[in-house]
Amino acid sequence: MKKLLVFVLVGMVLFFAGCAQQQPQQATTPAGPKEETLYFGAPISLSGKFAEEGKASLYGMQVAAKWINEHGGVKVGDTTYKIEIKYYDDESKKENVQSLIERLATVDKVKFILAPYSSGLTLAAAPIAEKYQVLLNSHGGASDYIFEQGYYYVVQTLSPASKYQTGFLDMVKKLDPNAKRVALVYEDGEFSRAVHQAAKEYAEELGFEIVYEKTYPAGATDLSPILNELKATNPDVIIGGGHFADGQLLAKQLAELNINVKAISILVAPTFPEFYEALGNKAEGICGPAQWEVGARYTPDVADELGVEWYGPTQDEFLAMYKELAGEDAVPPYQAAEAAAAVLSYAKAIEKAQSLDPAKVREAMNGLKFMCLYGLWQIDPETGKQVGHEMDIIQWQNGEKKIVWPEAAATADPCYPMPTWDEKASGATCGS
Amino acid sequence: MKSYSPLITLLLAYLIMIAIGQSIPGMWQPVMLVIFYIAIGQALNVFLGMTGYVNFGYVALLGVGAYGMGVALGYYNELGLIPTLILGFILAAILALLVSAIVGGIALRLRGAYFAIATIGVNEGIKYLIMGAKIWGGSEGIVLSGILRKSFGAETMRFLSTTFADAGVIVVAIATGVVTAYILNSRLGYALIALREDEEAAKVMGINVTKYKQIAFMISCVLAGLIGATAWTLKLTYVFPQDVFAINYTVEAIVIVMLGGAGTLLGPLVGGLIYALLKYYLAIAFPGLQLLILAPLLIVVILLFPEGVVGYIAKKARGTRLENFVR
Amino acid sequence: MAFVEQLIANLLYGAILGAVYGLATMGLSLIFGVLRIVNVGHGAFIMIGAFTAYWMFTLYGISPVLSLPLAMAAGMIIGVAVYLVVVKRLVDAPELATLLAMFAIGIFIEEAAKQIWGANYVGYSWEIGSISLPFTEIPYTKLVAFISSILIAAAVYVWFRKTKLGKAVRAVVEDREGALTCGIDVNKIYALSFSLGIGLTVLSGVLVTLFTPVGINAYMGGEYTLKAFVIAVLGGLASPWGAFYAGFIFGLIENGSYTLLGLIPGVEPFGLTRFVSFVVLMLVLLLKPTGLLGGE
Repeated sequence: MKKLLVFVLVGMVLFFAGCAQQQPQQATTPAGPKEETLYFGAPISLSGKFAEEGKASLYGMQVAAKWINEHGGVKVGDTTYKIEIKYYDDESKKENVQSLIERLATVDKVKFILAPYSSGLTLAAAPIAEKYQVLLNSHGGASDYIFEQGYYYVVQTLSPASKYQTGFLDMVKKLDPNAKRVALVYEDGEFSRAVHQAAKEYAEELGFEIVYEKTYPAGATDLSPILNELKATNPDVIIGGGHFADGQLLAKQLAELNINVKAISILVAPTFPEFYEALGNKAEGICGPAQWEVGARYTPDVADELGVEWYGPTQDEFLAMYKELAGEDAVPPYQAAEAAAAVLSYAKAIEKAQSLDPAKVREAMNGLKFMCLYGLWQIDPETGKQVGHEMDIIQWQNGEKKIVWPEAAATADPCYPMPTWDEKASGATCGS
Repeated sequence: MKSYSPLITLLLAYLIMIAIGQSIPGMWQPVMLVIFYIAIGQALNVFLGMTGYVNFGYVALLGVGAYGMGVALGYYNELGLIPTLILGFILAAILALLVSAIVGGIALRLRGAYFAIATIGVNEGIKYLIMGAKIWGGSEGIVLSGILRKSFGAETMRFLSTTFADAGVIVVAIATGVVTAYILNSRLGYALIALREDEEAAKVMGINVTKYKQIAFMISCVLAGLIGATAWTLKLTYVFPQDVFAINYTVEAIVIVMLGGAGTLLGPLVGGLIYALLKYYLAIAFPGLQLLILAPLLIVVILLFPEGVVGYIAKKARGTRLENFVR
Repeated sequence: MAFVEQLIANLLYGAILGAVYGLATMGLSLIFGVLRIVNVGHGAFIMIGAFTAYWMFTLYGISPVLSLPLAMAAGMIIGVAVYLVVVKRLVDAPELATLLAMFAIGIFIEEAAKQIWGANYVGYSWEIGSISLPFTEIPYTKLVAFISSILIAAAVYVWFRKTKLGKAVRAVVEDREGALTCGIDVNKIYALSFSLGIGLTVLSGVLVTLFTPVGINAYMGGEYTLKAFVIAVLGGLASPWGAFYAGFIFGLIENGSYTLLGLIPGVEPFGLTRFVSFVVLMLVLLLKPTGLLGGE
């Protein structure tokens, strides 16, 4: 029996030792006088609740790395670096993220890390990244507070939560100065709360009147108590939502309770094709913020006009390369584009700094401004928060997702006011 | 004190893990992950293992513990570093004690499965009280790293969220082991085991069943609160209600206790190791499929070892020299 | 008066929702009553029912009402399979072992569903109009869910009271040893009750989508598992009828308390309704540990 105990303990040691063995050795290519491989590290959610988003972001990163390598790599001095993405599955769990960041920083000796998906996981990663003084580039952590904690090594590529619903308010104000009454209905979670608190402040600045504001708990299956109340306040515009399921439910019950307004913007849910499949033509005219959308008109020419440098694949190149990785029918969601932009921003900043030292690269990022397929990239030097990139507002029109805002990126005119529920029940769509 | 000898095995195991974590680069966080799982198993075991009662609201205690520390660091940090930390631990313990006293007082009058299902609402209840009544920031939670940096400086913040937090988790994990060993050897432990075997008979024998159940329940809950305070608040530097009241931790803790063997000292250690490592390697080998594979494996283990792995080994080891070291 | 109108609207919706909740809990109570098994994987079976309704409607345009018998049959087959493969071997094992086994089965079903149907959130639109009341609108689909729930619950009730098999099941719930001596094949009753319980649960998944036809996803069941447990305890745990009534009460509390909580300034009333149902549960347990309608 003693043997058994010894066996258990030895087994344990072997297990752990195995863990360490598993990690591929850091590629220190002594060959090639001027060509080396540079690893960007990434904890990716390949399973768990962010599995879909995680996979898309990984493809986006790999596309960007491939493009960089095909276009001369990253040059520092007279060395050319080929980019490779070193990734692990974090299962969408905060505990795993910390282990993986440490492994990337110490075992793989990675200096540039692409943050995990979501604000919570990015926040969990930040202390460990700071400890090992490696850069952490957030492409899926939108919440503003991440960048208000004083982390120097954390920068942001996607637009912060506070910007999600502001574009929609700008649009409404421009289209219809008389639409004043705004109602907010959103999920009580840290992300949607951050989005809508900022939206509320911005709306008040623009001169809107907040006539209703209530939240619902995550996982609610019936929003009628809130919506019955909302109906009585007679709003012109509704903004709200949170994630996938509740966004669908919100639209569905607005239709059921026949609450007609001029425009609706819902977080997250409308950007997915399942939204239209679930709601049918009831989805017509519903808007939602997106970090990026296929068709967004960011091109080298636009960059020229604005006087900023263009870097990275064009949208057509990106779509083609994405298909090679993800399959013939794959259409990249915005998670792919934002992850690609994060990789591009590292490459650009490293070339600008002419160094692989994270501190120097971080400094170079302060003055960096470029455009890629995802849009403008520029951070606030103090906090590392993204200030260059603009959110797109999408709207379902005739069964298709169109970009309606900002005007520079728009692929269609906004459908305003949206058809009423009764009109939709008899088959009306936007543009019919 | 031969009945404390299994404790040697336990401490040895921790020592080996810490040594591995310190000597192999990149292994420290994975080791801490395993220790976290062992600790939540160990603390649950104090109650579940000894009484056979399942506390489905378990994660709520980790959650209120996390809040105790979070509130101290977030709202009372002007007290200075050490007093704030002490206050944090005290608050974590008091909140856990309070919740366990109320819940235990009501639900412990129920038997077996009735108790288990009655406690399932505890976690949601507390979560929605905090979010709905907007207590301590409501759904926005408490984000600490900026606050800590401002009050104590960047160096201290880094120390707190890494070295100190990890040391805290280890200390609490070892403490739960020691407490378990102590209970197993005390009057309380004997009473609880009598109760687990046959509650009616224990009552007839004059054992104050309710009192002992309540004591074990509260000890288990306070230990859970301390784990929440260290492994979550200090280590992650934030507290979000949806994060700390996530029911999957309750279930994972139950799985760990059951895998290892309920009511044994080493059960959570073995269960935690098996569970965490299995999941880790399945995730590497079959990313995205690990749970699909883990579930049938769990069923097989339940069918083969209904008393858990350590329970099985301890039974086999009875009468050998090893007997004293496995329990 | 806006306040009263809203209260009425919420209570109406609460009653409809409560009936669905109640039916979604009956299977859980039945299985516990007969086999003393705590089915922590309950929600996974609801999810199967929801997907049944979704696919039948999306692929073949079959109305969810017609999916009800199909879901019941599918659920009973799954129930028998689970019983024969796993549960049968654990009938005499400690409660904890079966609990853990049901948990593992629940995970397995959810993960398998994710692999087969993807992780996306889907939904369907079955539009059959709605009733306009002065203070709210009620879609007919929700009324269909309400009436179906009541009819099905009544049918189960009659089956238990009037048929020989139903009486045998009740005999096992009340006194297992006694039933054995009366010559009832307890094993057969176990298999039957388990498959009936799972069948009812899968069927309730269809009704759930009639009430909430969107947000259908492999992991959607968790929410319903938690609610079903609370409702089951309220209803006395071992009694399917108790569960059905308790579901009603739960729905009324959840939606009805919203209007009252809305009067408190500075809080989120919707979130607090969840806390209120927890407090009610605790109070009931304090005053009557056998549940609101326990000890039938």
